[in-house]
Amino acid sequence: MTLRREQGSALREGALASAPLLVGIVPWGVVAGVAMVSAGLTKAQAVAMSLLVFAGSAQLAVLPLLIAKAPLWVMVATALVVNLRYVIYSAVLAPHFEHLSRPWRALLSYITVDGMFALFVGRYRPGEPKPHKHWFFLGGSLMMWSAWQISSWIGIFSGALIPHSWSLEFAATLALIAVLVPLLFDRAVVCGALAAGAVALAAAKWPLNVGLLAAIAAGVAVGLAVARLGAPRAGRG
Amino acid sequence: MLDETWFGWALIAGMGVVAFFTRAVFVLPGSHLRLPPTAERVLRYAPAAALMAIVVPDLASTHGAVSISIENPRLVAGLVAFALAAATRSILATIAGGMLVLTLVRLFAG
Repeated sequence: MTLRREQGSALREGALASAPLLVGIVPWGVVAGVAMVSAGLTKAQAVAMSLLVFAGSAQLAVLPLLIAKAPLWVMVATALVVNLRYVIYSAVLAPHFEHLSRPWRALLSYITVDGMFALFVGRYRPGEPKPHKHWFFLGGSLMMWSAWQISSWIGIFSGALIPHSWSLEFAATLALIAVLVPLLFDRAVVCGALAAGAVALAAAKWPLNVGLLAAIAAGVAVGLAVARLGAPRAGRG
Repeated sequence: MLDETWFGWALIAGMGVVAFFTRAVFVLPGSHLRLPPTAERVLRYAPAAALMAIVVPDLASTHGAVSISIENPRLVAGLVAFALAAATRSILATIAGGMLVLTLVRLFAG
């Protein structure tokens, strides 16, 4: 009985802790919903994409490529690159969740999002004897998941009511900017991102697949180079 | 039309696999896999580079031609959005401010 109560209270705590993040996720979900339909997906496909992919920045990143009729593999590769940050999250979360059953680990993997990851890592250390921390993670993540799905549906099913002259598809680009800026946490990342932007612009007339992938490769190379030049020999800056 | 529908579902399936794989790659096996430091460094730079590579051509080109000018409403609105995102860290403020500037520049420059 006590166990149940502790699990329930961890679930509730996580849900409450995620509340400030919901303010950010709702407009983003609405914009993604509108953008998916205006990029040519059917409403059923847009709903399925939000459910199965559940990765806002990857979804928004792929839509301009869908409009430009890029090949399928380029879009999937782009989604992979944008989602690479989750590989790092996964590595950080793994020791926290390694004692759980496989279905639990699958569920928590599927439902991982940036904001809740940051909250969780700020609150728990890997070795700590906090047996109910996965309930905290689940509680907050479920809130984020629900907010994302519901706000996507609002965009998907009400987007047609918004006049085309409002250029609402531009809001999708603005949402990507809002997601991108917090990633620019040090000089090397900024230099890499600027290099990627410059190459992408210069390569805008190339066949789309080559330009985008070249831009990402250039960005990673410049980021690594700047980090190496900038770091003093004694340690890492 | 049938082709496009098929394409959409294939895209969703591909992205679904990718999205689950990236999140589950260390959590699901549950073993003591560790990320090599080199891989970790590459992973730090790739997402920001990818997003910037998508955003910049969208802002600074019109109909496939580079357009860096104060009369390009998307570019002006995008730059304001970068500043707003850095200052507020709010998705809502970034979208609202960017859309407002886009509308204003179109009204006065158009």
